[in-house]
Amino acid sequence: MARKTRSSRLSRREFLKLSTFGGLGLIAAACTAPQTPAPATVAPKTEAKPAATTAPAAPVPTSAPAAKAPAAQSPGSNLVGKLEGPQVIRDASKMPATFKEAPMLADKVKAGQLPAVKDRLPSEPMVVQPLSEVGKYGGTWRRGFTGPADAENVNRILSADKPLFWDFTGNEIRPSLARDWKVSDDGKTITLYLRKGAKWSDGKPFTADDWMFWYEDIYGDKEITPTPHPDMLVNGKPGVMKKVDDYTVVFEFPEANYLFEDLLAGSTFIGGGQSTRQSTGNAGGGYAPAHYLKQFHAKYAGKDKVDAQAKEAKFDSWVAYFKNRIDYGLNPDLPTMGPWKTAQARNTPTFVLERNPYFWAVDTEGNQLPYIDKLQLTLAENLENLNLKAIAGEYDWQERHTDMQKLPVFIENQQKGGYTVRLDPALNGSDSTLHVSQTYEADPEIAKWLRKKEFRQALSMGINRDQLNETFWLGTGKPGNGLPDPSMPFSPGAEWNDKYAKYDAAAANALLDKIGLDKKDGEGFRLRTDGKGKLTLELITVGAQFVPYTKHAEMIREQWRKIGIDAVVKELERSLAFQRSKNNENQIMFWANDGSEFIYLFPRHALPVDPAECHMGQAIADWYASGGKQGKEPQDADLKQALQLFSSAGGKKREERVKIAQDIWKIYAENLWSIGTVGRSPAFMGVRIVKNTMGNVPARQLNAQHGRTPNASHPETLYFKS
Amino acid sequence: MAQSVPAIPTDPDHLVEDIATDAEERVSVATQWQLMWWRFKQHRLGVFSGVVIVIFYLVVVFADLLAYVDPAQSEALRSLIAPQPIHWFDNGQFRPHVYALAGKRDPLTFKRVYEPDPERKIPITLFARGFEYKLLGMVPTDVHLIGLAGAPPEEGLYLLGTDLQGRDMWSRLMLGTRTSLTIGLLGVAISLFLGVLLGGLSGLYGGWVDTLIQRIIEITRSIPTIPLWMGLAAAVPNSWNVTQIYFSITIIISLIGWTELGRVVRGRFLSLREEDFVLAAELAGASQWRIIFRHMVPSFLSHIIAATTLALPAMIISETALSFLGLGLRPPAVSWGVLLQDAQNVQSLAISPWLLAAAIPVIIIILAFNFLGDGLRDAADPYGV
Amino acid sequence: MLAYFTRRLLLALVTTIAISALSFVIIQLPPGDYIDQYIAQLSASGSAISREEAEALREQYGLNQPIWVQYGLWMGKIMRGDFGISLEWQRPVSEVIGERLWLTIVVSLAAIMFTWMVALPIGIYSAVRQYSPGDYLFTLIGFVGIAIPNFMLGLILMYIGFRFFNSNVGGLFSADFETAPWSAAKVWDMVKHLPLPVFVLGLGGMAQLIRIMRANLLDELRKPYVVTARAKGLTETQAILKYPVRAALNPFASTVGYLLPYTVSGSIIVSLVLGLPTVGPVLLKSLVAQDMFLAGSIILLLGVLTVIGTLISDLLLMWIEPRIRFQAH
Repeated sequence: MARKTRSSRLSRREFLKLSTFGGLGLIAAACTAPQTPAPATVAPKTEAKPAATTAPAAPVPTSAPAAKAPAAQSPGSNLVGKLEGPQVIRDASKMPATFKEAPMLADKVKAGQLPAVKDRLPSEPMVVQPLSEVGKYGGTWRRGFTGPADAENVNRILSADKPLFWDFTGNEIRPSLARDWKVSDDGKTITLYLRKGAKWSDGKPFTADDWMFWYEDIYGDKEITPTPHPDMLVNGKPGVMKKVDDYTVVFEFPEANYLFEDLLAGSTFIGGGQSTRQSTGNAGGGYAPAHYLKQFHAKYAGKDKVDAQAKEAKFDSWVAYFKNRIDYGLNPDLPTMGPWKTAQARNTPTFVLERNPYFWAVDTEGNQLPYIDKLQLTLAENLENLNLKAIAGEYDWQERHTDMQKLPVFIENQQKGGYTVRLDPALNGSDSTLHVSQTYEADPEIAKWLRKKEFRQALSMGINRDQLNETFWLGTGKPGNGLPDPSMPFSPGAEWNDKYAKYDAAAANALLDKIGLDKKDGEGFRLRTDGKGKLTLELITVGAQFVPYTKHAEMIREQWRKIGIDAVVKELERSLAFQRSKNNENQIMFWANDGSEFIYLFPRHALPVDPAECHMGQAIADWYASGGKQGKEPQDADLKQALQLFSSAGGKKREERVKIAQDIWKIYAENLWSIGTVGRSPAFMGVRIVKNTMGNVPARQLNAQHGRTPNASHPETLYFKS
Repeated sequence: MAQSVPAIPTDPDHLVEDIATDAEERVSVATQWQLMWWRFKQHRLGVFSGVVIVIFYLVVVFADLLAYVDPAQSEALRSLIAPQPIHWFDNGQFRPHVYALAGKRDPLTFKRVYEPDPERKIPITLFARGFEYKLLGMVPTDVHLIGLAGAPPEEGLYLLGTDLQGRDMWSRLMLGTRTSLTIGLLGVAISLFLGVLLGGLSGLYGGWVDTLIQRIIEITRSIPTIPLWMGLAAAVPNSWNVTQIYFSITIIISLIGWTELGRVVRGRFLSLREEDFVLAAELAGASQWRIIFRHMVPSFLSHIIAATTLALPAMIISETALSFLGLGLRPPAVSWGVLLQDAQNVQSLAISPWLLAAAIPVIIIILAFNFLGDGLRDAADPYGV
Repeated sequence: MLAYFTRRLLLALVTTIAISALSFVIIQLPPGDYIDQYIAQLSASGSAISREEAEALREQYGLNQPIWVQYGLWMGKIMRGDFGISLEWQRPVSEVIGERLWLTIVVSLAAIMFTWMVALPIGIYSAVRQYSPGDYLFTLIGFVGIAIPNFMLGLILMYIGFRFFNSNVGGLFSADFETAPWSAAKVWDMVKHLPLPVFVLGLGGMAQLIRIMRANLLDELRKPYVVTARAKGLTETQAILKYPVRAALNPFASTVGYLLPYTVSGSIIVSLVLGLPTVGPVLLKSLVAQDMFLAGSIILLLGVLTVIGTLISDLLLMWIEPRIRFQAH
C-alpha cells in the first residue's frame, strides 16, 4: 500500500510539472493580466516565440522511449511529453510573399482545371507556423471510425473552419476562418472580419452573404431551427447578426455579452463552423454556402420543387433533405471551407476526404496547407477491431476510440507496428463522475439524502480513488473531486481538487452517523430513517463508452460497504439512461465531466443549467433555462448561488469571468452535486498512436473539448516524412 | 439378441458368436431400463462423462465451500496476478505453501509485475476460515475447503490468478459454475416440457392444432435468434434484481430453445402414427394415453434424449453468447458468460491469458454432455439391441 | 399434391406477414426511439439539440405516430420494393445492406460447404467404425468445435495470426482492396481472407452434423434391408453407400432449409469479432441505435429466408416421405 501511494503521489507531481511546463506560463498570464481581445487592426500580438522555433525538432521519444527512461519513473510520465503545437502567425510582416502548392494541384493548374494558387488563396491567408518544420506534400492519413454516427471523428480534424479558435494551450483565442474580431467596449457588439478573397471548395467567393444566409434562412427558418439557441441569446434576449460589408459581420446584443467571443472560438452552436453541424442538428455553424444550398431551400426554390426533390431522393420532407445536403460528410457536393473535403461519404464503409484546393491557409514559407493529400477512414465493425488495427499499425494517427486498458499492448507492439504511443492527459477533473440528481423524487427517503450536502461529502470520502486509478486508468489519471486541472485559469487552486476526495472511511462514517444515518442492520448497512429496511442507492451506468462505467460503479459499490452504504449497479442502454435523467428518475448516474472544465462553454456536467442534457436535476435545468417559467426552482441555497454566479458571468469581462468560475468551482467542491473520481487522464482521446513516419507530431497535445482534440495541433500541418 | 460387446453391424458372424445362453436368459427377463443401463455401461466415454457431470454439479452444490475468498472482493494492488504455483514440500516435508507476492506497475511496459518472495512462505491448509456463507443454503459457516493459514489479509492464494479488479479467478469460477449450470438445467427443463407438450400435441392431433403450433414454431425459428434475444432482453424491466434477471434470461433462452425439440417430437409422432404396432395397439383397444406413453414415447425416447443432451450445451453456449453481447447476466452476478466476456479482448490474450480459463470448464462440460448423450442414445435405441 | 403445395405456400405467406409484424415489435420493444438514441449520441460527442428540435425530428421521421400506423406505412413501402431510409446511415436501407448481404451469403455458403465437406465423411466413418479410435477422435474434434464459444475462438485465432504470422486483423479484405472496385484481384483477396471466418463459423455446426449423420446412419445400418443387401452379396461400400447413406440423409431434408438462415444468424457474433463487413454488425448496431427500418428490414429478410428454407424442407420431405403427403390432407 505504502509503495503504491508514494508512486502515485510522485506521478501527480510529475504530471503537474509537465503540464505547467508547457502551459502554465501563458495560463498565469491569462489568469491575472486582463486579456482584452485583439483590436480590429492586426496587432502583433503573437508571443513571437512559436514552440517550434525555440524548441527545434521537439524531443519526440521515437522508437523505444522506454529503454532510455530511468527505471524509477512513475507509470506514464515517459509517455507524456511537453505540451506544444503549431502557432497561427498574426504579424503581417511575417506573411510569405509567394505561394506554393501540392503537386497534385499544380498538375491541375497546368491542365487548366484550376486557377493558380495565388488566385485561390485570400489576400490575407492564415499563416501557420508548423510545430517542427515545413512539411512535404502527399500521402494518405489512415484512421479508423465506427460508422456514420462517428461524425465527430472527422469534424474535429476539420475544425479550422471555425471563425475563431484556441491556440495549442487552449487558453488564448486565435483567428481562424475570420482574420480578426473585435468586441466593443460595452460588450454589446462583436465584429468578425472575414478574409478577403477566401473561396469555397468549389471556387465561389466566401462572403458575409454566406453568414446572412445561415442567419436568416437556416437559423431563422422555423422549420429548420424551431427554437432560438442559447448561444444567440444573452439573458434570454436574442441577439442579431448583420452584414456590414462583404467581409464584415457583426453580432449585436441588447446587453453586454463579453462571453460571445469564447463561444465563437468554442465547440458551440454558433462557433462550430461547418464541421460541427451534425452535432448541432445540422442547423448550427454560423455560415453556409448560400450559392449551393438555395436550390434545396423552400424559400428560394419553391416548396413544391424542394418537396419533389426530397421525395425523389427518398426523404420525407424538404427539411430532411436540406439537412442531409448541408452535412459535409454525407454530401460530397457541398462546398466547404475545411482543409479537406469529402470525396466518399461518411455513410459508406470508407469515408474519404481529399484536400480542399481553395483552403485558405499557408505555412510560413507560403506552402498552401494541408500537407497531406487524403484522409481515409475505414469502418471498424466494433471497437475491439479498431484497437486491433491500431495495434497492428494500420492507422497513421489515431487518438479516438483507442482504449486505455490496452496501453500495455500498444506499447508492446510499438516496434512491430512502427508507431509511437503518446499520452495526452485531459484537463477535465473526472472521467467517471457520479452525478447526484437533485430532482429525483420517486423515493422521498432517498431523495432527501441525495439532496443533503453532508451525505454527498460522505459518499465522496468513501470512494478509494487510488484503487480506481490504478485499476482502470493504469495509474495515469489523477484522483480528485471533479474540479478542472489546476493549470486552467478557472481552477481555484490545486488544493480544491482534493476536497472530500481523499479516501477516509472513518470521517465518512462519522459524518453519516452525525446526519442521522446511525442505525445499521446485521450486515453493517445503514438503515433508512423511515423504517423500510436498509438504505440502498441505485447507480446507473451506461456500457460501451470510452471508460467502463459499470466496472467503476461495481468497485465503488464494494468500497461503500465500508461506510455502510448499500448500492445496486444497473447498466442501462445509453438512451434509456438519458431518458431517465430527463424524467428525473435516476438517483446517481455515471458520466464523464469532459468539456465542463471550460464551464462557460460546456457547463452541463458541472451545473444543472442545460436542459438538453442534465444528470444533476433536469427540472432545475428546465427552470434555469426557461428563466423560471418551467421546471423546479432549486431549494438548495448554494446551488442557487452557483446558478446566479453562472448566469451573471456572460456579461462580465474575461478576468471577472475567470474569477466567477473559480467561485463556482469552490461552491461545487463543497457541495459535490456531482462527485468526481479520477480524471485529468488520457482515457478520452488521449491515447495517441502515431506512425513514426509522421512529422510535426506534438509530444503532447491539448486534449479538451474546446480544443477539438486533435485540432489544436492543426492537423493540416501534419505530414509524412517518407 | 443382446450381445455384450458393442455391435459392429458390419460383421454378422460376430453377432451369433457372442450370444451366451445365460446372458440370453438374463436379458429376456430384464426391463427396458435395465437393458439400457447394461448397454450404457458399455459406453466408457459416456460413463466417464457422466462422472464428470456429477463432479461439476457437486461444484454447483458446494461452490462457496470450494471458493476461498469473496468473489466480489476487489483490490487494485492484486490486479492481474498470474496463476500462482503451489510448492508442495518445505525442507523435504510435505507442507503445501505459496510464496508471498510483491507487486507494482512497471512504468515502462505498464504491466503489473509481481515478484514472489521465497522467504515468506504461506502455508495452505484444508478447512480454512474465510468469508461467511450458508452451506447448502442452510448452515451458516465460514469454513472453506482450502485457504491460507494465518495469512495477513493482504496476502492471498491465487490458484488461477486474478482479474483486472484483483478478484480471485478460482473463487469466481466456482460461483460462475453454479450460475451457468443451473441456468442450463433449468432452461433445458423448460424447453423439454414445452417441446414435448407442444410437439406431441401437434403430432398427435394434427389438423388446426398442428397448423397453429407449426406456425408458432416456424415464426419463432424464422426470427434470427440474436434480435429476438435483444428484443426480449430489452423488454426485461430494468428495475429487476439479479435473481429476477437470472430467471428471465433462463426463460428467454428456453423460449427459443424448445422449438427444436418440438419439431423433433412432432416429426416422430407423425411417422409413428402410421406404424403397425400403433395400429395394433389401437385395434387392441388401448387408450390413447397408453398408446402414447407405453408405445410411442419409448420408441423415440432415444431421439428426445439425444436432442436434450444437445440442447443443454446449447443453453450454456447461449448464456455465454448473451453475455458477450452484453444482454445476459450482468455483474455483480458471476457466470461463465460474464467471466468470458471479461476475457474477450486483446489485452487479455496478450497480457493475462489466464482469464481465458473460464473457457475450459465450458468446453469440458459441453463435451461431457455430448458424450453422455451419445451413450444414453445408443443405450436407449430399441433398434440397437 | 398441388392443393398441398398451394396450402403450404399460403401458410408461408401468412408466416411472413406474422414475421414482419413481429420484427417490427421486436425493434420497438426497447424503450425510447431513434431520436432518444440520437440525442444521447450527440451528448456523448458533446453537443445537443433542444426538445423542440427533437420533436420536429420525430415528426419528420414519423416516429410520433402510433406503432400500427408506422408499421402500416413501412409495409406499404416494402410492398413497393422500398425498404425505407436508414435513420443512422441516411441512405436507403437497400444500399446499406446491399453489398453486405452478398458478402454474408458468400461467407455463410462457404462455411456450410466447409462443414458438409468435413462432417459428412466423418459422420459416415464414425457410424461404420462405431467406437473405433477414429470415431472417438473425430467426434472429439467435432465436439471441441461446438464447445468453444465461437466469439472467443475467433478472437484467439485472429490474435495468433497477427502476433505470429503477421496476418491482417479482421475483415474480409486487405487495406489496399477495401476501397477498390470489384475485380478479379479483389475476389482473390477475399478468398484469401475467407479461411478464418469460414473455419470459425463452420466449426460450430460441424459437431451437430457429424452427430446427426452418425446417428441416422447407425439407425439405417441396423435395419433388415442392409442385412439383406449384404446377404445378397453387395460389396461393403455398396451396401453402405447405396441405400443406408441416402436414407440417413433424408432427415437432413428437414434441416437443410434452415441451414443458410441459421448460418447467417450465427455469423452475426462471429462477424462482429472478426470485423467482417456482413449484415451482422450492422444489424446489431441498428438494433442498439433503434434504427428501425434498417433493423426491421434485416430481420425481415432473414425471416423470409428461413420461411423459404422451411418451405423447401417441407417440400423435400414430402417428396421423400409420401406418408407425410397423405397425412397432410
